[in-house]
Amino acid sequence: MDLTKKLLIVDDEETIRFSLSQAFITAAEEYEVSVASDALQALEKLKKYDYDLVITDIMMPGMDGFELIKKLKQYKPDIPVIVITAYGDEEKEQRSKKLGVVEYIEKPFDIHSIREKVFRLLKK
Amino acid sequence: MSIELLLYSVNKPVLAMDKFEKQKYIMSLMNNKTIREEFKEQLSSPAGASDISIVEKKYNDLLKKSKYLESIYKFQSSIIHNLSSALIVIDLDGNITFSNRAAQELLKYAHDELNSISLKELFADESEGANFTELLTVYGKKFKNKECLFVDKEGKQVQIGLTTANFVDDYNGYEGRIILFKDLTEVKQLKKQIERMDRLALLGELSAGIAHEIRNPLAGIKAAAQILDESIGEDTNNKILLQRIIKEIDKSNKLLKEFFKFARPSRPKLEFVDIETLIDGLFLLINPRIKKQNVVTEINYEENLPKAYIDETQIEQVMLNILLNALDAMPEGGKLSISVNKHELEPFEANEIIEKTFNQQTLYYVSIMISDTGVGIKQDHLDKIFDPFFTTKADGLGLGLSICSRLLEENLGKIDASSDESGTTFTLMLPCFYHN
Repeated sequence: MDLTKKLLIVDDEETIRFSLSQAFITAAEEYEVSVASDALQALEKLKKYDYDLVITDIMMPGMDGFELIKKLKQYKPDIPVIVITAYGDEEKEQRSKKLGVVEYIEKPFDIHSIREKVFRLLKK
Repeated sequence: MSIELLLYSVNKPVLAMDKFEKQKYIMSLMNNKTIREEFKEQLSSPAGASDISIVEKKYNDLLKKSKYLESIYKFQSSIIHNLSSALIVIDLDGNITFSNRAAQELLKYAHDELNSISLKELFADESEGANFTELLTVYGKKFKNKECLFVDKEGKQVQIGLTTANFVDDYNGYEGRIILFKDLTEVKQLKKQIERMDRLALLGELSAGIAHEIRNPLAGIKAAAQILDESIGEDTNNKILLQRIIKEIDKSNKLLKEFFKFARPSRPKLEFVDIETLIDGLFLLINPRIKKQNVVTEINYEENLPKAYIDETQIEQVMLNILLNALDAMPEGGKLSISVNKHELEPFEANEIIEKTFNQQTLYYVSIMISDTGVGIKQDHLDKIFDPFFTTKADGLGLGLSICSRLLEENLGKIDASSDESGTTFTLMLPCFYHN
């Protein structure tokens, strides 16, 4: 039985995609990490492959993270979604929670804490 | 005297007064050739027969018209004296010859006292006053919405805006200038407040953009540094360097977060809050420090305080900040006093938003005065303490009081500070509504 968990990281910032991928590749648990630089690319990947968890930014050019989550939840309502954002905004946090987001994390994040949250969510 | 002469002398002055020409009339009666001829004509006419009923009728008419004129005079006089704008009239020598009640009240002069001084004496800078008077009287220059600094009888400077008009009274052979002016102190303050709000709104927008641009690379650097940190052996110099990078990133992020609190405070969740309970809760938090520093406390509440309509968490944050500053100012002990009172809201202070929300209710402020007996704030620092990044503390960011001021604005309240060598007092004004 393959215990590797599949993650999708969506962020328009290359630095974030790279560093966050590295954080999970180097983690003690087994992760397979895919990245997408915008919401449309993410949706295409989500249609093609099965992911166990999605980590997404909110403010992205074109379709934003909220729209992506709405569309994603239409056909994969149970997939856990974590939001990572540079906007520490209460309103955005509330909106995320309403869309079923399980964790709202502000940038710059702590990789130990984000790994721990992902591990806990996937263990459920 | 014949009846014509009597009638003439009754009738003509009334007509003359009707046109506000009484004085001119008397003058012309004395000097004017045509009128003298008119007299003669009337005296020699056949209708000159004595008729007492005509005299009586004319007398009654005169009385009626005189009362009518008096009522017009009173009406116009009351308009001038009840104008909200101050009004003075000067002669061509620059001396004040008339002032209305608003002018007397604004400049704190008793009735008619103003009439004994010259216009230039009203100016804070007398040479400016002399130049202004010369332009006004000698050159007949008119001014519109000119801003000047006047000085009242007590020597206090008053920022005013004035408009002038030339005044010619042909009948009395009098020429002068009318000066209409208003106290601009409050308008200036409101303007300043609006400008500040505009600047803050812009700052809020800008900061959101800056947040994105700064926090993204910070996140990248921090994650990279943490991954490297994990892969490096303990007690190496590189590990120390990496941990320093992470620490500095966290410090920068903390500064950014504090700044956003100032630039984009979250929208207050307004509710009715009991101030006594709020202050009691805060004292539970700071009591250990109060005891440790040997600070004596005194709290006075006015009876029947209304509840304040505020965001409890935000105002708690503001008060805690001020209380901790007060304790910082008294490391060797002192006295911390709090006084809570209610004030009825002046109509001009009634905030439009509150009025819209709570139409027709009696509006109050609850004032909370927090005083310490610390070293005090230097006068030249006092104007700057609410500015972001102003600090006198070595480890301070200079955002504490600017956030307090911002939060008070968001809660439709106010914050002010006064200080001297005997200590500092912060006054918070929080909006309330009286429950009938």
